[in-house]
Amino acid sequence: MKTFDPEKRADSGLREGRELDRIAEAALCAARVLMETGARTQVVHEDCSRIAHGLGAEHVDLRSGYASLDITISRGMNSVTRMEEVGPHGVNYRLTHAIRELAQRISRGGMTPAEALSEMTRLKQDTRQHSTWMVASAVGIACAAFGRLLGMDWAAFIPVAGCAAVGQTVRQSLLRRGANVFVVAACVAFLASTLTALAARWAGSTTLNLAMIASVLLLVPGVPAFDAQHDILDGHPTLGTARAVVVGMLLIFIATGVLIARVVLGVRQ
Amino acid sequence: MTVDLSYLLHQALFGGLAASGFGILFNFGWRDLPWCATSGALALAVRTLGQEAGWSVEAASFAAAAAVGCAGQLLHARLGLDTNDLAAAGCIPMVPGLFAAEGILGWYALTVPHPDSPAATAATALEFTLRFIFTIGAIGTALSITTHILPNRDQGGMTKSGRTERLGGLL
Repeated sequence: MKTFDPEKRADSGLREGRELDRIAEAALCAARVLMETGARTQVVHEDCSRIAHGLGAEHVDLRSGYASLDITISRGMNSVTRMEEVGPHGVNYRLTHAIRELAQRISRGGMTPAEALSEMTRLKQDTRQHSTWMVASAVGIACAAFGRLLGMDWAAFIPVAGCAAVGQTVRQSLLRRGANVFVVAACVAFLASTLTALAARWAGSTTLNLAMIASVLLLVPGVPAFDAQHDILDGHPTLGTARAVVVGMLLIFIATGVLIARVVLGVRQ
Repeated sequence: MTVDLSYLLHQALFGGLAASGFGILFNFGWRDLPWCATSGALALAVRTLGQEAGWSVEAASFAAAAAVGCAGQLLHARLGLDTNDLAAAGCIPMVPGLFAAEGILGWYALTVPHPDSPAATAATALEFTLRFIFTIGAIGTALSITTHILPNRDQGGMTKSGRTERLGGLL
């Protein structure tokens, strides 16, 4: 005759809970990295779900907010809920693609939660970034190209490229020190547009206003603006609206920086 | 419709340059950067052709984003990378940062103690603001539509219950 052993049952429940907790931790870690690197919410949900199922979960529910993620995963009678904070949102597509490839590998099975977590940590550490000077130069040239698309004259091309590169270097340096992203946007907009106006005037440009705006286009949050729309259309209006509000606030701070530069230098609109 | 070929090439060239520059900022790998440039050049070429045909910036941007989105989805199997991100990078040179900045600066100009011709300032600020909203909306909508109409294998693969959906597509 089989006897009911409550201690043994509690023990097995505890073990199962711990296993589910590790699965939730791995899935949430991937979701957080994807959110922080500029992935759309739909992609975050799909890959988080792939990972959790690949590691052995039977049912997954994810709730994504702008600053935090919650997951509930279950298997049989057991379920675990876990929450994780999301750090500053940025764009890093190489890391996004690496995590997405890992999610596909995990979904094929054969990986443990510990292996998945260690692989994610390795990817976060080892995924290469372009060097600071390379990013600054590329952004400078991109802003000058933007200026040409807007109708800026050739005389302002090099001033815009140089000053936008300086702006990008300062932005990266301030963000690394943990400065507020909105304040950084206003300060960099002021710095880049002031330097551009002075340099473009010296170079004989007749399109000062366009040059000043071209030099701050590196700050315009294009990817978050697209993500906001994708999120709303994909059925995540809360996060989409949060992203749109952040985009709007950033634009106000950028315009404020340019306005102060115009007032200081006496540039007429 | 007459097309100024040198203007078209100018727009495509600088669109490609801007997209690849922002591709580096977004940390695309070296292998993907030429595709960023191609995507940006295609976007600006289509938008310029649309504008030359008499379309508004908003309509031309919609067509350009749809073209880039479709091209990305069609090339997904060949490129082996998330082409939605590539399409977004290609559309970055079309983001109307100028409209946004001029719109907000126009609103600021309206709030000074004694503005010159407030009605004209308000109309200009409103025009720039609306053009920013409609253009960014047109680009985002076109990218979303192509993603939903032509889904690739990376999208919509899993439901909440973990069942893999068989998505009809071009693959």
